[in-house]
Amino acid sequence: MTILCVRFQLPPMYEAALPRLLGLLEDFTPVVQALPPDGALADLRGAERYFGRDALELAAMIRVRSLALYGVDCLIGAGPGPMLARVALRDARPGTTRTVPEDAVAEFLADKPVAALPGVGAATARTLEEYGLDTLGRVAAAPLSTLQRLVGAKAGRELHEKANGIDRGRVVPNAVSRSLAAERTFARDELDPDRHRRALLSAAEELGTRLRALEKVCRTLTLTVRYADRSTTTRTRTLREPTAHSAALTRTAYGMYEALGLQRARVRAIALRAEGLAPAEQAAHQLTFDPVDDKLRRLEEAADRARARFGPGAVKPGALAA
Amino acid sequence: MPGFTHLHTVSGFSLRYGASHPERLAERASERGMDALTLTDRDTLAGTVRFAKACAKSGVRPLFGVDLAVAGPVRREGDLRREKRRTPVRGGAFIDESTPRATFLARDGARGWADLCRLVTAAHESEGTPLLPWTENRGDGLTVLLGPDSDVGRALAAGRPDRAAKLLVPWREVYGDALRLEAVWHGREGTGPGSLRLAARTVGFAAEQRIPPVLSNAVRYADPGLGPVADVLDAARRLVPVDPTKELDSGEAWLKDAGAMLHVAERIVEAAGYRGDTAHRLLEQTRATAAVCLVDPEDDLGIGTVHFPEPHLVGAGRRTAQRTLASRAAAGMVLHGYAGRRDYWERMHRELDIIAHHGFASYFLTVAHVVDDVREMGIRVAARGSGAGSLVNHLLGIAHADPVEHGLLMERFLSKERVVLPDIDIDVESARRLEVYRAIIDRFGTERVATVSMPETYRVRHAIRDVGAALSLDPADIDRLAKAFPHIRARDARAALAELPELRELAAEQERYGRLWELVEALDALPRGVAMHPCGVLLSDASLLARTPVVPTSGEGLPMSQFDKDDVEDLGLLKLDVLGVRMQSAMAHAVAEVERVTGERIDLDSVAEGDPATYQLIRSTETLGCFQIESPGQRDLVGRLQPATFHDLVVDISLFRPGPVAADMVRPFIEARHGRAPVRYPHPDLEESLKGTYGVVVFHEQVIDIVAVLTGCGRGEADRVRRGLSDPESQRRIQVWFAQRAEANGYDAETIRRTWEIVEAFGSYGFCKAHAVAFAVPTYQSAWLKAHHPAAFYAGLLTHDPGMYPKRLLLADARRRGVPVLPLDVNESGVAHRIELVSESGVWGLRLALSDVHGISEAEAARIADGQPYASLLDFWERARPSRPIAGRLAQVGALDAFGANRRDLQLHLTELHRGARGAGGGQLPLAGGRKTAPAGLPDLTSAERLSAELGVLSMDASRNLMDDHRGFLDELGVVSARRLREARHGETVLVAGAKAATQTPPIRSGKRVIFTTLDDGTGLVDLAFFDDSHDACAHTVFHSWLLLVRGVVQRRGPRSLSVVGSAAWNLAELVELRVEGGLDEVAARLAEPAPDRAPADGEPAAARTIRMPTGYEMHPWADLRPAGEEPAKVRKLWHQSPGSAG
Repeated sequence: MTILCVRFQLPPMYEAALPRLLGLLEDFTPVVQALPPDGALADLRGAERYFGRDALELAAMIRVRSLALYGVDCLIGAGPGPMLARVALRDARPGTTRTVPEDAVAEFLADKPVAALPGVGAATARTLEEYGLDTLGRVAAAPLSTLQRLVGAKAGRELHEKANGIDRGRVVPNAVSRSLAAERTFARDELDPDRHRRALLSAAEELGTRLRALEKVCRTLTLTVRYADRSTTTRTRTLREPTAHSAALTRTAYGMYEALGLQRARVRAIALRAEGLAPAEQAAHQLTFDPVDDKLRRLEEAADRARARFGPGAVKPGALAA
Repeated sequence: MPGFTHLHTVSGFSLRYGASHPERLAERASERGMDALTLTDRDTLAGTVRFAKACAKSGVRPLFGVDLAVAGPVRREGDLRREKRRTPVRGGAFIDESTPRATFLARDGARGWADLCRLVTAAHESEGTPLLPWTENRGDGLTVLLGPDSDVGRALAAGRPDRAAKLLVPWREVYGDALRLEAVWHGREGTGPGSLRLAARTVGFAAEQRIPPVLSNAVRYADPGLGPVADVLDAARRLVPVDPTKELDSGEAWLKDAGAMLHVAERIVEAAGYRGDTAHRLLEQTRATAAVCLVDPEDDLGIGTVHFPEPHLVGAGRRTAQRTLASRAAAGMVLHGYAGRRDYWERMHRELDIIAHHGFASYFLTVAHVVDDVREMGIRVAARGSGAGSLVNHLLGIAHADPVEHGLLMERFLSKERVVLPDIDIDVESARRLEVYRAIIDRFGTERVATVSMPETYRVRHAIRDVGAALSLDPADIDRLAKAFPHIRARDARAALAELPELRELAAEQERYGRLWELVEALDALPRGVAMHPCGVLLSDASLLARTPVVPTSGEGLPMSQFDKDDVEDLGLLKLDVLGVRMQSAMAHAVAEVERVTGERIDLDSVAEGDPATYQLIRSTETLGCFQIESPGQRDLVGRLQPATFHDLVVDISLFRPGPVAADMVRPFIEARHGRAPVRYPHPDLEESLKGTYGVVVFHEQVIDIVAVLTGCGRGEADRVRRGLSDPESQRRIQVWFAQRAEANGYDAETIRRTWEIVEAFGSYGFCKAHAVAFAVPTYQSAWLKAHHPAAFYAGLLTHDPGMYPKRLLLADARRRGVPVLPLDVNESGVAHRIELVSESGVWGLRLALSDVHGISEAEAARIADGQPYASLLDFWERARPSRPIAGRLAQVGALDAFGANRRDLQLHLTELHRGARGAGGGQLPLAGGRKTAPAGLPDLTSAERLSAELGVLSMDASRNLMDDHRGFLDELGVVSARRLREARHGETVLVAGAKAATQTPPIRSGKRVIFTTLDDGTGLVDLAFFDDSHDACAHTVFHSWLLLVRGVVQRRGPRSLSVVGSAAWNLAELVELRVEGGLDEVAARLAEPAPDRAPADGEPAAARTIRMPTGYEMHPWADLRPAGEEPAKVRKLWHQSPGSAG
């Protein structure tokens, strides 16, 4: 009962607040693993001794501080290991911390749906449910060899262990793996590629500006297109080099968008997410002989300075000015 | 000022393009002082006949034309480039509408019309969207308009007069002087279509090229203000939403009057740099072009003339058709053994005279030929309709029943006084209908035969879907809105919202959807697609293709005329109705099954009449699945009428029609039949014809007789009089005439008054006895099969799915009647349902069919059946080669149980076999111990899961009735089962429950809306009626729930006639859920809730409105519609999975 899994109840598209909230957790323990966009795991083994309180009391302190400092409520699950803490989080309600008793792990898991296990995605859950293994209790009861036949050797073994409550995971501090996202929505079903591209441009500009403000660069870019029927298409592309340069982000975003070849698709929203963030000083930059690139960067610097002084709307690409 | 003639006008028959009906266009043209109007629909001539008729009514001269996409003489390089676009990952590609279009007008009478038909036929020959190949683009009788959408117009819009001149050359080569350039101004900016600059350029270019320019308004709708409707149609056609930031319809494309068009002309010529009075020259050119387009609807289209196949094709050889017919009829007399009967000879000669009078001999020979061909193919065939009243038809072998014996009249079918085409319908096995079509086409050739089209028009649900999608509504919302409505006309959408209790919830949020409702109503009855009419076949002489455009049907590729069944009648094209009747297929299957397993050949057509077991079955009202007598109303009527002879069946079928029910003929008939009321005749002279029906008028034939007897006019005249009765105006004239003639014949005033009352009350409804006799034959045959070969009967029914009930109800009926239902088994089941001897008992059982597995293809089912038997799972997998989802479904419903292991283990093995088959290295053999499959330790399906799988895969609860699982809860509630309900007293209040089997709101006599529902609870059926005082509380629940719990009062009207009048209804699935989760207290809390919003706030109950039918009885405005809610037959889910239920 020493691992906490915390999910902050952030308004959508407000994940820029996550780093500060993680800082709040780091006041208690250095072992904090971010689970973007809005969660984190914290290992309180040291903290319990240091603060002289048990994990439940510390959880209450975290909730109070989060509310008092940032006005953000949070859900907290607690358990002996990260996996169990995450499962517990599913049942947590604001105000109470859901805990997994160390001596009754099997009973706790037995009734849970398979999808509750971290690492079991929609596809695996569907496969298991198809074969009647819809609760973790049933998965635990199934022979290991059968599970391995269902989902593969390695995944089957892991599934078997997890369903039986064996939690081998550890909290790995990972301050770097965070992401930023920007979304643009449309008021009606939008088919016009020009307006799609404008949305992309604006989102990429925003990401670039925010990354540069944080002095970060990102390694990959993910495009999510949401349609009228609430379904989505997602594409991820790794950038040629980690960057926070708006032009590079825009180029990559356009590339992904063009590859979709959308014509009659009724687009309701376009979101871009910058992932694999790293400190800007660690990024390498391939120099080119093309002066345009260099000019653009210098322009960007100037624009950023202007924004810093006159507000985020001060400088915009011409295409967005209309 | 003389009227302006619009040369380019489309109607709603231009699918998802035109926004007004042809009738409306003609009406408006007349109102706006036009003398002539052209109809130039896109890709179709389907609106022509309606347009011509409407024009004749409004006093406007119709011009005919068509607007076609035309391929260029050479392929342009642009075509190639476009094909290279990337395939979208979502949403599909844009609809390509870039092909240039031109307008073709028929000029020289029949020749012009034939050219139009040929062009349209040619345009539809290629795959995909209609496109006229350049090689077919010619016609001596045509005038061609090249407008803004033509290749020439586009070149002008692009500012390339040089290119336009080049493109014009091939057109000029083909059409010479008949070429016109069309200028259109819709007040748009720029140089695109509808812009002033393009119109001016067109006029200038025309002068340069010495081609007469004409002015048109490219009309899409009759009245101003319909622009938004055109936008919705555009969006629906292109499958995109309306984008208000893009160019929308100008709103100018309406049928403008002469003054407005003069103004347009003036603006155009001014912009082209001419003096203002040149406008009159432009209008003059337009008028001149219209003036030479002379096509006469009567002479040139052939409205009002008849075309039969040439006599030599129907076996006449060198003789005339009439003589051939006479000799065939005489041969039939000998064949049927009537040679010695004088009355038969006389009747035959009289009928032949009538046929000769009209010159219809070829028609009879044609039908006889078709029937002979069908019979030769071994397909069950029967004549239906008034044609059965003709002895000649009987002699030719077209009709089975002997009309003389059954008292059927030729005059009801054809007489010298009747000038319309007679109409013989034949019923064939539905499963082999297309075979019959192909045989007819082979016999007469594609130049003489075509099927008939049937426009699918917008009704409320489709209109909501298309408008909603155009307005970018949330797809989930659209779906919910559309499904909430019953199947009503689109134009009634807002009225229904205001009046129907089950829509009250929706009405509350009505405002949220803005213009939706207005646009939905505007789409009312516009065609949105064309399908093949399910039964009409056109037969003509070799000139068919010159008189109708023929297009291939989408699925079968059969030739189909663009005209619908009313049009072809007006065009004088002979239509033979070949109806596919599922019951005929079902009976054929049942007979074949009996022969397969026992070798016994049953000839249904010679089954002896009067079989006691059959009538006992009918009287017991357990007539589920029997032709015509299975509906709740019919079961009730059969129970009261207690038929004992074939004649009783004929009467029963005739009585169960809206007319007789409305005229209250049922009660006096039943009273008289059971001797509770005396039989009375208005006059002894009428006893002869009314005797069979206890003095009650049931048949058309009896009305004809009554009129003929009292007035002394011939029966032909009497039939004409009978037809006049439906119109109130002519009814008054007939009354006077009737009284005078009867008085002259010496009948007293009292008799005349009483007889007239009967005739008047009868109106023109009631039923044609010839129809009823034709219907009663399969009714008796199907009941006979049910009584003597029940297993085979159910096998036939389930295979061909006739009737109104879901299959699972037939299965429940089979179980109740002691027919064992054998589960699906890949080693036993056939493609179709079979019968099998259940060894120990000697009883025949019903083996379920592979074809009922959801998603199985014919080929797959046949492959599985051909490979039987299978020794093991591996053997099955390798030889039957089922697709993985099908194999999985078979395992779920237990069809693979014979191979050992539980159903989930089997599925795992199948998955691995599948993986292995894809070469993913599944070397591991899943089998242990030879033939049996090794268990994998997965949990087996629970009993409820098995039932759920059966419903999901087979749409049937095959192993047991799904209501059995709720028996305990129902007992707690004190629900009365259907079996026990039979002992319930009249007036007792009871609770009943079950799965909904059918819901109807038929028109009934009181003019009220009554919801009739049938529930199945495993022990039998419960028939429920909800009257309109309970609709506020119940209607929504009844329409939208599958499992129902109902409180009601028992109504008894006879020993076997019982129904429950519902007063409250609950969704049983929801209650079951509550019982499981929260116990009885939760259920009690739910029952304690008040019924959802009782009675509308504005006092007056909304449904007080009634519609008075032309026949004189009142009808509820929302009766006789397919109600909302999922059809029970389509429900594939168990209660706990249904969306909308809690959890």
